[in-house]
Amino acid sequence: MIPFELLEPRTLPEALGMLADDDTAVRPIGGGTALMLMMKASVFVPRRLVSLRGLGEALGRIELDAEGALCLGGTATLAALEASDLVRAHAPVITRALPHLSNVRVRHVATVGGALAHADPHMDLPTILAALDARVRIAGPAGHRTLPVDELITGYYETALARNEIITGVTIPAASAGKAAYIKCTTRAADDWPALGVAVNLACSAGRIDAARVVIGAATDKPTRVSGAEAALRGATFSGSTLDHAVTEAVRDAVAREVAYTSDAQGSAAYKRQLARVHIVRTLTAALEG
Amino acid sequence: MSVATRTIHFTLNGAPVSATIAPHHTLLEVVRDTFGLNGARESCGQGLCGCCTLMVNGQSVSGCLTLAAFADGATVTTVENLAVDGKLSPLQAAFIECGAFQCGFCTSGFLLMATELLESNPRPTEGEIRNHLSGNLCRCATYPEVVRAVQLAAERMA
Repeated sequence: MIPFELLEPRTLPEALGMLADDDTAVRPIGGGTALMLMMKASVFVPRRLVSLRGLGEALGRIELDAEGALCLGGTATLAALEASDLVRAHAPVITRALPHLSNVRVRHVATVGGALAHADPHMDLPTILAALDARVRIAGPAGHRTLPVDELITGYYETALARNEIITGVTIPAASAGKAAYIKCTTRAADDWPALGVAVNLACSAGRIDAARVVIGAATDKPTRVSGAEAALRGATFSGSTLDHAVTEAVRDAVAREVAYTSDAQGSAAYKRQLARVHIVRTLTAALEG
Repeated sequence: MSVATRTIHFTLNGAPVSATIAPHHTLLEVVRDTFGLNGARESCGQGLCGCCTLMVNGQSVSGCLTLAAFADGATVTTVENLAVDGKLSPLQAAFIECGAFQCGFCTSGFLLMATELLESNPRPTEGEIRNHLSGNLCRCATYPEVVRAVQLAAERMA
């Protein structure tokens, strides 16, 4: 790696002041696991990095807010999420996914904010958070704003963040806690980056799906909601973990038709489309099994 | 561009140390090049293989992905710290007994990861062992022997 300036602010306002809206070579660094790879490959050559590690414990807190929403601090590590009783109680789909996300060493340092800001489509967490209707809390020079996860990530490694903004956390509304599941499919080795990630979140009452969120990730440029599948699931009845054949066929068709799959080292677009047709039903079954 | 250096202070294998570093140096480079501790090695350079595993504040990290500057004030331990007064740890002894390596390049990483596991979970299941070590690669494929060694060490430490 080539030399750069490393700044270590102690407060959020101080950190924001060290970023620059007009300089692509200035970026915040949290756990650094993703940025270090880009720097080693000279894909990203920083002039200045602003470390978020010294911003204090508050920015990494995992807690419930007054409305009962689960708040994950921007600098909370993936290992902290994995160990959190609050996450297990309010978003168990995250707890179940984490042991299979990257590896122990990366989870010890990689952060929630970093997983979102990096916007690598192969990451699991953004797809899950999008299915949970999570909102990203963002601080910038003009103050604070929030964005839904699926609006934050706009494309392949692209976000709606300005260069002088910092993700301070993610809020998962209590109302979005339904029957949720995430299944990913790796094609080369069990711990490879996924070729496909499918997250579903079903709000159910008495054998009926009242509302559904269906999100496809990894196989696409960005986590992608499948509105046709969500519409097909709305009002559908189930017994045990089984949906009507007509409903699952409609969901499969929507997932195959509506989503723009991409070809890469993990597989061709056609292959991923077929993976999605199969895995969407497995994911729905896993969600209904609870 | 002139490179701004800084001095970091940290605890390395129980002793207070300081090092002059540049911001782009990794902790792995400092541990090896400044302190001559060559147990941790850079192999994949991408955090995937575990050969560069170091313990920072009691947690395993990939030394190749950790900026040395982030270790300022931290407690760092390496595989060289496992043996006490020349006596191998029970896990190290079990690795030898089970033949849990061939070339040995990956062994320091496996030892630190498995030591970490046994500290938090003294009687892990085979699945828990495999999961904790899933980010460590052994190109000699001694995985069955590694799992057996961790189980043997767990039995002996019980």
